[in-house]
Amino acid sequence: MSNYIATIGVEVHVELKTKTKIFSSSENGYGQMANSLTNVIDLGYPGTLPTLNEEVLNLAIKAATVLNCKIRREMHFDRKNYFYPDNPKNYQITQFATPIGYDGYVEIEVDGEKKKVYIEEMHIEEDTCKSTHRGEKTLLDFNRAGVPLIEIVTKPCMTTSKEAKAYLEKLRELLFYSDISDCKMEEGSMRADANVSIRKKESDPFGTKAEIKNIGSISNVGLSIEKEIERQAKIYDAGDTFKPQTRRFDDKLGDTVLMRVKETGNDYRYFPEPDIPFVIVTEERIDSVRKTIPMLPDERREKYLSLGVSEINTKKLIQNRSLSDYFNNLLEEKISHQTASNLLLGDISAYLNKKEKEITDTTLSKERFIELVNLIDNNTLTSKNLKEILEVILESDKSIQTIMKEQGIENITDDAEIREVIKKIIKANPESVTDYQNGHDRAIKFLMGQVMKETKGKANPKMANDILKEELQ
Amino acid sequence: MKYLNQPIEEIHKLLKAKKIKPIDLVEEAFDNIEKSDCNAYITLNKEEALKEAKELESLPVDNILFGLPIAVKDNIVTKNLRTTCASHMLENFIPIYNATVVEKIKEKHMIIIGKTNMDEFAMGSSSRTSYFGAPHNPWNKDKISGGSSGGSASTIAARDVLFALGSDTGGSIRQPASYTGIVGMKPTYGRVSRYGLVAFASSLDQIGPMTKNVYENALLLNAIVGHDEKDLTSAKKEEEDFTKLIGKSIKGKKIAIPNYFVSDIVDDEIIDKIKETEKTLEKLGAKVDYIDMKYLEHAVTLYQIIAMGEASSNLARFDGIRYGHSKENPKDIRDLYFGTRAEGFGKEVKRRIMVGSYLLSGENAREYFYKALSIRDDMKQEFKNVFKDYDYIIGPTTTTTAYLLTDPMDDPSKSFMDDVLVIPVNMAGLPGLNIPIGFDKNHMPIGMQIIANSFEEAKIYSLASALEKELNLDLNPYGGEKNE
Repeated sequence: MSNYIATIGVEVHVELKTKTKIFSSSENGYGQMANSLTNVIDLGYPGTLPTLNEEVLNLAIKAATVLNCKIRREMHFDRKNYFYPDNPKNYQITQFATPIGYDGYVEIEVDGEKKKVYIEEMHIEEDTCKSTHRGEKTLLDFNRAGVPLIEIVTKPCMTTSKEAKAYLEKLRELLFYSDISDCKMEEGSMRADANVSIRKKESDPFGTKAEIKNIGSISNVGLSIEKEIERQAKIYDAGDTFKPQTRRFDDKLGDTVLMRVKETGNDYRYFPEPDIPFVIVTEERIDSVRKTIPMLPDERREKYLSLGVSEINTKKLIQNRSLSDYFNNLLEEKISHQTASNLLLGDISAYLNKKEKEITDTTLSKERFIELVNLIDNNTLTSKNLKEILEVILESDKSIQTIMKEQGIENITDDAEIREVIKKIIKANPESVTDYQNGHDRAIKFLMGQVMKETKGKANPKMANDILKEELQ
Repeated sequence: MKYLNQPIEEIHKLLKAKKIKPIDLVEEAFDNIEKSDCNAYITLNKEEALKEAKELESLPVDNILFGLPIAVKDNIVTKNLRTTCASHMLENFIPIYNATVVEKIKEKHMIIIGKTNMDEFAMGSSSRTSYFGAPHNPWNKDKISGGSSGGSASTIAARDVLFALGSDTGGSIRQPASYTGIVGMKPTYGRVSRYGLVAFASSLDQIGPMTKNVYENALLLNAIVGHDEKDLTSAKKEEEDFTKLIGKSIKGKKIAIPNYFVSDIVDDEIIDKIKETEKTLEKLGAKVDYIDMKYLEHAVTLYQIIAMGEASSNLARFDGIRYGHSKENPKDIRDLYFGTRAEGFGKEVKRRIMVGSYLLSGENAREYFYKALSIRDDMKQEFKNVFKDYDYIIGPTTTTTAYLLTDPMDDPSKSFMDDVLVIPVNMAGLPGLNIPIGFDKNHMPIGMQIIANSFEEAKIYSLASALEKELNLDLNPYGGEKNE
């Protein structure tokens, strides 16, 4: 494999998160009873005509914007003609000649190096219906027929499976964050095909291409590319050649398998869809769509890091859209953002997972969260105590201090009071003091334990620790 | 007592005064259809029509179309009423929704009497490609009534009913109207919703009214027009009464006759009749010029490319999976496709699908289809230019009068030549109307076509009605329809 340079391009289909389908008023939904979300238009009944869901155009404009694409101002739809049972009209309405977005890019980072993945074009089209094979029979579920899709096609500009994976991760992050799609590969709302060819040197012409269709997860995209490069290299090493072909990734085999050899280019007999007039995209429309784009992951990342949030917390926050959105409300606040992120990703996340809730389902208002962060930060509330009262904090709207009081959590923060206890403990444990002075660190832990015992755990641990050290000097 | 041969205002008065009921008209219509015996219908809606007529008795007679029977071409879908497109493919197809035009005529409380015969999927010019046999021309039952809206033309000419809907992709309303001596309007593309019209060539198809006279034609157009959010190609226009210019003087109107329309492709008898009509128009104060127009002679070629290309795609949905004919016990999916379409479609439809697929295939798309689209734009422009100087373009609707049902059908290009004069109007998306202007030596009707600029249907009716009044022809095949 190391003898070859791979050339990789990726095509991704993404289902758009709209209320209704692209060309009819049927609901766009997943996991409903088969054929319950259909009407005469989705079924391609004679005499029916498509209408155009304006929401689809807006989401496509949004996608083109976040993918740094140029946006076509005047475009039309085309018919792609082919017979297949999952294609109700036996033509698919798509954009062939005038894709809405073109010449874009996505920035990825692989092994610490930044790279741009270039987007050739992205276009709008309708999804087909879902077919399920049962023995001799094929069952058709038209709920998916007419679900709006965008197809995003990269230039053949990637050379490793790592890059392809990074691109897909990034793409998913962008589309998910801008509310364009759920991007759930397991539900098919994001589907990827990879085109792979290899050659010896940069100066060689491109090798024969194999297309791997409908890969079910990002990691399998990586795996299938690696396997495909290996397979092609073996063929070339043996002095053989192969024909352009379509393959699929077989989960069980963990390898790609041949679907069909491409004899000639497909003849889809494209022509402009006469039932949908030309679409004009105005500058105003693009502007108003642009305004609906929330802060994107890269910007969040930069902001979080600049506020002192650790790399790992930043990454974890961005992986959790709703926590990140919550966190974004706090960016201007004068608090410890690291503490805030620890709280969100730690105890609060554990609570949310356990209760299957979103942070927005809790009573934790911005003001109460700020109070909480500050109480933790100045050691008024210990993390041990937090665990005890977290449920109450997230389920009532009293102030955190009130809750602490009601729950009997006191925290002695009075310097004099703690110092008095510490002096007493030091006097009572001269051996430990000697041990400490002889460099035995364990002694301080013992002394701290005694302090906590004496104060029934109420002494502020940080203060107690500091005072203890002072007194031992 | 017959009512359906009386002026529409008279019928309306009688209905309003409760002297007659809608059911009288419905019964009379079915009686007429039976007596005419022209095979004009594929499906009669007898039971339902009588039931609807009964139900109407309790409603106020709120508009001039109230309670009147109407015939609907069988490529316009009607809920619970078989819609076949004159094809074996849809022989047993019962739609589960109504076309927008059907909803509109129902709003006016018109009663659908039946579904009229036509060329299979509107592909043909004599209605002889119908799976159900061709309709006859009431003027001579051995002759064609034209196509593809041949059944609608036949039933109007025979005076079975007052109103019929047709569809016009390349002359399919105007040409049969000409052959049968009736008034047929192809409205501006976008004027009438296409939702529920089984598509032949989507960028050309248009539904229109077919009636025995101009006034009734305008009334039916009033009822069926309007923007429809279910059809993105339907136009947003202010509501308009298409009868508003009827009876107004045409003095000073400027009329153009393209030389191509009176060239040697047209029978002498017809050219003579056009020249006579030209005199009549001048007598009425209009000014007539002969002009040269570019592209007209290419219209048929362009039409073939665009219409067949679009048709090959539009008819792809008939695959035996969801509705319509389906091959029994297919071996596999390929067998289902091939078997269903081989059995379900007739010869002419198959021919057009094949030619259309070829024209869109690979490099051909650029060579033929896209080129045709571009020349179509030039042709539109050419018409617009003429309308800068003229109010109307006129000419014969057809090159011959109706010919024999037994004439050979083996030359497919002949069928297109029947439509050579009407096709340019579809290509340009303009409104065009056939008005009868006389008869040939065998007393078969001769028609004239009136074309105006986009959305100028009212203006067309104005000229047509002036001519209709002046010519005062007896257009009833059975006689007795001349105003004294």
